[in-house]
Amino acid sequence: MLGTTMPRVPVLAARGLLAALVLSAAAGESVVDAQTAPPVTFTDHIRPIFERSCWNCHGEASQLSDLDLRTRETAIEGGARGPALVPGRADQSRLYRVLAGLDDPPMPMGGDTLSEAEIAAVRTWIDGGAHWDAGGATSAAEALTALENSALPAGARDYWAFTLPVQAPVPVSDEFDHPIDRFLERTRKARGVTAAPRADRLTRLRRASLDLIGLPPTPEQIDEFLADTERGAWERLIDRLLASPHYGERWGRHWMDVARYADSTGFEQDYTRPNAWRYRDYVINAFNQDKPYSQFIREQIAGDELDHTTDETRIATGFLRAGPRVDFREKDNPERRHDYLDDVIGTIGRGVLGLTLQCARCHDHKFDPILQKDYYSMQASIFGYVEIDWPLLDRDEAAAYRARNSEIDRQQQPLKDQIAALEEPHRARLRLELIRERFPENVQRAAEKPEAERTPGEQLLAAQVLSINPPRRRVTEALSAQEAATRTGLVEQVAALEAQRPPEPPMAEIVTDGDYRFAPDGPGDEIIGCPECRIPPDDPGSFLYEGGSDPYRAPPSYFLIRGDPFSPGSETSPGFVAVATYGDPPTVIPREDRRTSGRRLALARWLTSRDNPLTARVMVNRIWHHHFGRGIFRTLDNVGTMGDAPTHPELLDWLAVEFMDRGWSIKEMHRLLMTSEAYQMAAAYGSDANTAEDPDNQLVWRYRLQRLEAEAVRDSIMVVSGGIDLTVGGKPIFPFIPQEILEASQGKGHWDNQPDGPEVWRRSVYVYRRRSLGFPFFDTFDLPDQNQTAAARNVSTVATQALTLMNNEFVLRQAALFAERLERVAPDDLDRQIDLAYRIALTRSPTAEEAELAKALVTEQSLVDLTHVMFNLNEFLYLR
Amino acid sequence: MYDQHHCRKRTFWNRRDFLMQSGGGIAGLALAHMLDQQGLRAAAQSDTCEAPIPDNPFAPKPPHFEPRATAVISLFMSGGVSQVDTFDPKVALTKYAGQPMAESVVVRQGHPGPLMPSPFSFKKYGQSGIEVSEIFPHLAKKVDEMAFIRSLYGRSNDHIQATYEMQSGQIRMGFPSVGSWVTYGLGSESASLPAFIVMNDYRGGPLGGPNDWSAGFMPATYQGTLFRAVGDPIVDLQPPEGMTEAQQRARLDTLAKLNEIDMAKNPGNSELAARISSYELAYRMQGCAPEAVDTSAESDATKKLYGLDNQTTEPFGRQCLMARRLVERGVRFVQLFHGGLGVQNTDTWDAHSDLKENHSQHAMETDLPIAGLLTDLKALGMLDSTLVVWHAEFGRMPISQRGVGRDHNPGVMTGWMAGAKIKGGQVIGASDEFGYKAEEQPVSPHDLHATMLHLLGMDHKKLTYRYNGRDMRLTDVAGTVIPQIVA
Repeated sequence: MLGTTMPRVPVLAARGLLAALVLSAAAGESVVDAQTAPPVTFTDHIRPIFERSCWNCHGEASQLSDLDLRTRETAIEGGARGPALVPGRADQSRLYRVLAGLDDPPMPMGGDTLSEAEIAAVRTWIDGGAHWDAGGATSAAEALTALENSALPAGARDYWAFTLPVQAPVPVSDEFDHPIDRFLERTRKARGVTAAPRADRLTRLRRASLDLIGLPPTPEQIDEFLADTERGAWERLIDRLLASPHYGERWGRHWMDVARYADSTGFEQDYTRPNAWRYRDYVINAFNQDKPYSQFIREQIAGDELDHTTDETRIATGFLRAGPRVDFREKDNPERRHDYLDDVIGTIGRGVLGLTLQCARCHDHKFDPILQKDYYSMQASIFGYVEIDWPLLDRDEAAAYRARNSEIDRQQQPLKDQIAALEEPHRARLRLELIRERFPENVQRAAEKPEAERTPGEQLLAAQVLSINPPRRRVTEALSAQEAATRTGLVEQVAALEAQRPPEPPMAEIVTDGDYRFAPDGPGDEIIGCPECRIPPDDPGSFLYEGGSDPYRAPPSYFLIRGDPFSPGSETSPGFVAVATYGDPPTVIPREDRRTSGRRLALARWLTSRDNPLTARVMVNRIWHHHFGRGIFRTLDNVGTMGDAPTHPELLDWLAVEFMDRGWSIKEMHRLLMTSEAYQMAAAYGSDANTAEDPDNQLVWRYRLQRLEAEAVRDSIMVVSGGIDLTVGGKPIFPFIPQEILEASQGKGHWDNQPDGPEVWRRSVYVYRRRSLGFPFFDTFDLPDQNQTAAARNVSTVATQALTLMNNEFVLRQAALFAERLERVAPDDLDRQIDLAYRIALTRSPTAEEAELAKALVTEQSLVDLTHVMFNLNEFLYLR
Repeated sequence: MYDQHHCRKRTFWNRRDFLMQSGGGIAGLALAHMLDQQGLRAAAQSDTCEAPIPDNPFAPKPPHFEPRATAVISLFMSGGVSQVDTFDPKVALTKYAGQPMAESVVVRQGHPGPLMPSPFSFKKYGQSGIEVSEIFPHLAKKVDEMAFIRSLYGRSNDHIQATYEMQSGQIRMGFPSVGSWVTYGLGSESASLPAFIVMNDYRGGPLGGPNDWSAGFMPATYQGTLFRAVGDPIVDLQPPEGMTEAQQRARLDTLAKLNEIDMAKNPGNSELAARISSYELAYRMQGCAPEAVDTSAESDATKKLYGLDNQTTEPFGRQCLMARRLVERGVRFVQLFHGGLGVQNTDTWDAHSDLKENHSQHAMETDLPIAGLLTDLKALGMLDSTLVVWHAEFGRMPISQRGVGRDHNPGVMTGWMAGAKIKGGQVIGASDEFGYKAEEQPVSPHDLHATMLHLLGMDHKKLTYRYNGRDMRLTDVAGTVIPQIVA
C-alpha cells in the first residue's frame, strides 16, 4: 500500500497539505463553475491578494507569528496575536485591520500596500462571510470529494479541437484543382496575397528527396528524374522515394522525437538499454510498411494485449518505457513510479492527443477542460504496466529456456548454501576485524558489545556496520586447507552447472501488465544496499501474473491529492479524457488469456477511434509540419487554448477526415500533400505586398526555408562525400567523440567509442542515444531534449555550429573524401569537378559567377577548400 | 589569426583596424556587409570584439528594473556539503553525541546512525561574529561580506535530482538551468564569448552531466557552454593542425561571397543573415576565447591570491581566476563546479565515509581560491556588480553513517551569497536544534532563484518562456524573494 511506505523526502510542508487541498479545490471550482461568480469571490479577488501579499510569510513556506492564512479554519484560529478573521465582521478582523492600516504593524510588511479597491474587496468579502471559495468547500474531505467528482463545465466541447472533425465542401476555384490548394487559395485571396510560382524541377527533386528520405539526390537520380519528361513524373518520383527503405529512417526519426526515444535510462546510473534499438527498428519498419497509424498506436500502447500478438507488436510497447528511468528501487519509491506514469501520460497526451494532460496531475487544468479526475483515470488505464525482458523465441522455446534456467537455479542453490555455511564463521570474524581496521573506536566498541549491552546509539552504529561484507579474497584466504578444498569442489560444481545454461536468446525490452511492487531486484538494487530496509506491500502478490482461478488484477491506484503519492484519495478506475470522449467506449476489454487487464487495449482503441476528435488532427498536422516547415497549428503537441489556433481550420479537418477515410495511411497523406501546388511552390520568391500582409508566411504563399535537422546535416555530408554506409537497421553505432568530452560528461553512461571511419559512417538514426550525453554534432544542431516528448525542433543559429562545420575533423575528413570523389570521376578537369561538386552537393549546376569564385578558390588553394566550403553553404543546410 | 590583444574589453581596437587586421576575411566581409545593410556602420566605430553583431541572439536585453548586479559567478560544491561542519554549528550534536535522534530519520543508504558531533572547531569572525568552521580559515575573514542562508532546503536526496533542482527548480530532466534563464532574460555583454559558461572540476563533470546546464525546452542557444580549464576552452575552436590561417581565410571569404549571392536570391529570410553573422562570432571566438581563459598574463601577486602557486589550491584557483576574467569580458553567467566524478566519495563533497578527511580536503582546495576571488573582485571594483553564490545540491545528516561519515540530507543546507551590494555579515533563517531540517524561514531553490533574478533586475514572475501551452517560469508557480538579501 502506498500509505504504508515512508516518505523518502522530508516533507517540510506536511501540515500544509490539508490546507493546500482546500485551496486547490477552490481553484478547481473556479474553472468548473465560473459563471455564477458573485461580485467578490475568494478565487477571483482575494486569492490573488493572498498569493501576492500574504502567503509568502503566512503560507506554505513559513507561518510567521504562527499565523497560517491558507485555510479559512486556520485564519479564524489565528496566530500569536490572536484570531485573524471574524467572518461577517471585517471591522473586528485583524486581517482586515492590518491590511487597511488600522492596526500595527501595517501589512503587508515590506511589500506594496494594497490598493483602495483591494482593501474594499477584502472588507466586502469578510463582511459577506469570508467564504473561501465559490462552492464553499471548507474542509479537506469535502474538497476532495468535490474534486474527485467534478464534472465538465457546460460548453467545454464548444472548441474546435473537441468537436469531431467533419469535411466542409472543398472551395470552388478556377485556378486550382487540388483540394489543398483550393482551401489555401481562399484565405490567400481574402487577404490579397499571391502564391509563388512553381519551383524548378531540380529544386523540387531536392526538396522531395531531403523531405522524404533525408538524403540529397545522387547524380544518377538527378539524371533519372530529368529524363522522365512524361506526365506523372512528379508522382512517380514520390512513389519511388516512398518505396525506398530510407524513407522509414527519415520519418521514423520524426516519430522517435515524439517517443522520447533513447538507448539509455538517464539519471545517475544512465544504464544502457541493450535492446532498445529493436523498438527503433520497429518504428522504421512500420513507416516503411505504411502500417496504418491507428494500428501503429494500438501496437505501441497495447501490443501485448492485442487479439493477435507477435514479437513485433510486443516490441512496439517499448514506446511506453522509452522515457527516462532511474531504473532501480522503483518499488520502494512510489514517487518514482508516479513520475514514470506521468512520463507515459505526458507522452501520450502531447504526442498522440495534443493535450497537456500533465497539467492536471495536481489540479484541474487551468486553461483546458481537463479534469484532475481525467488524469487519474488515464493513470489507472496504464497503472499495471511493468517493464520486462522478452526472449524472442517461439512460445515453446521460450518456456524451455525458462525451465532450463530455473532447473539450474534449483540445483545450484543447495551448493551455494553449503558454501555460505562454510564461510559464515570466517565472515563473522573477518567482519569484526574489518570494523577494527576501518572504523573509529566508538563504532568498534558498539559492534563488539553483546547486543543486550549496547546503548540505543550503539545499536544504530552496530546495525550500520554489522552488515558489511568482507572481501571475497580475505574470506578464501582465511579458510583451512580442508575447507578450501571442499569449497573449491562446490564452486566447481556450481560452475559446471552454470556452463550448462542455454545461451541467452535475443531479447526485447517490452512492457506488459504486472505489479511493480514485487519486481525482482535489478542490477542497481545492490548499489545502495539495505534490502532489509524495504517495507513490503501489505497484500501478497507477484510481479507477473501467475495463473490461478482469478484473472490478472492491476494493483490499486489512487486519486492523489495535489499529485502527492503519499496523499491518496479514493481508488481510481480506468478511463479517458472526458472532453474528448464520445459515446461510452469500454475502459476495459477483458483478455481471453487473462494475463493482462485489457485496460491499455481499451485506451488504445479509444485513442484510435473515429470518435476521437484529436488523434487524426494531431497526426495530419505533424505530417503537414514536416512537409511545410510549420503546422496548420504551430504547436504540434498542444491543441489547447494555450496552443496556437489553426491558420486553416477547415483544411485541417478536411485532412483529418481524409486521413481516417484513407485507412490512416501516412504514405497516402504524403502523396496528397506533396502533389499540391503549395508543396511545389518556389521558396526563392519575394513580394513586398505579401511580406507586408503576412510576413510570417502563415498563408503559405511561398515554400518555407527549413534548416535541416542535425541528423540530415550529418547524413547529407556523408552522402555527398560518398562515404556513407546505407545499411538499414541493427545495433546502434558509436561515432567518435573526443576523449575530453567523454570525460567531462557524467562518467557512468555507455559509449563504445569508435575511431572515425567507414564503420561509423552510417545514418544518424543509428547513432546511440545516450541520455547523459547528446552526440556533440547533434547537440550543436539542436538535438531536442531526449527526456520529454518533443514537438517541432528548435532551430538555433549559433557560433558553435559554424565552428563545428569549420573545424571539426569529421567534417574536414568528409570534405577530403568529397574532393577525392571529384578527382576520381573527373580527373584533371576542374570545370567538370566544379560542376559536379554543385550537382552532388546542391542538386544544380553553378552559375557563371559561382563557378568563377569556386575556380579562384581551387586555383589559389585546393579542391578540398571548395568541398569544405560547400558543406558550410546556407544552401546546403536549408531545405528549400 | 585574430590578434588577441584586441579581445580585451572595450577600449582598444576600432572597426577600421579590425577590418584591416583580419585581412578582409570573413570577419571583415560579413560584418561590413551586414553593417551596411542594417545601417549600423556608425555604431560599430568603437570596438571590435565588442562591436555589435546583427541578429545576435545574445544581444543585451533590458532588465525589468534597475539591477543590483549584472553578472553571476555560481560556485557549485558538488556532492553535498555538511552544514553542521561548515557554517551552521550545533552544540546539541556534542551534547547528545552518540544518542539516537528522537525524530524518525530517513536515510538514503543503509541504517541511520546516532548523532555525531562535528570533528571541527568553530570560531567567531569579523564584526558580525558569525561562526565558521576551522576548515575555512580564509573565507572566515570575509564573513562580513557574506550573507549566509542557513535554511536552504531541497526535495530530493538523490544527487542528480537534487542538482537539477538547484539548477532548474525541477527535480526532473528537461528544464532550463538558472544560467539559461538569466541568459535568456538579459542576453550577453560580450560579442565574442558565450553568455553562459560552465567549468568543471579537473576530476570530471558533476553528476547529471550536460543536463545540469541544459537549456531544457528553450532553444539550444541558451545552454551553458562548457569551457575546459586547460588547452582550448571549446572543442573545435581551432582549425586542426595543417590548416593555415591563409587557407581558413580563403575558405571563409569564398563562403561569405557565395552565401551573399544566395541571400540575394532569397529575400526576406532573416535566418540566412543570422547564419552569416554566426560565422562572424565564431571567427571572433577563435581569437578571443583562448585569450579570455589565459591566466599567464596575470601578475604573480594575483596568481598567489588565488592559490595558483600551490598544488592543492591551483585547480580551483585557476577556475576562479578564469571566472573573474570571463565576467570582466562581459560573460553573464559563469558556473564553476567543484567536485567531479571519479572516486565519488573522495573526489566530491559526498562524505559518506570519513567526513573529517573529505571535508578537510575539499575545504582546503576551495577556501583560499574563493576568498581570493572575493578580494580580487572587490579590488577591481567588480564585486558590487557581480553576484557570487555558493551552495551544494543538499546538506548532510547530523547523524553518523558508520560512525565517521554523514549521509545526504535535503532537509537543510547552508548556502551563501556575496557581492551585488548585498548586506554582508548576516545570517538568514535557521535549521533546527540538530541541523536536520530548515526551521526558521525555510528557503527553497525557487526562493533562491527568485532572489538571484531580482538582484539581476528581473521579476521572477515576469520572466517567462512559452512552452507546452504555458508561460513557464524558472520558479514554476512558487518563489519568494529573500527580503534580507534584497533589503
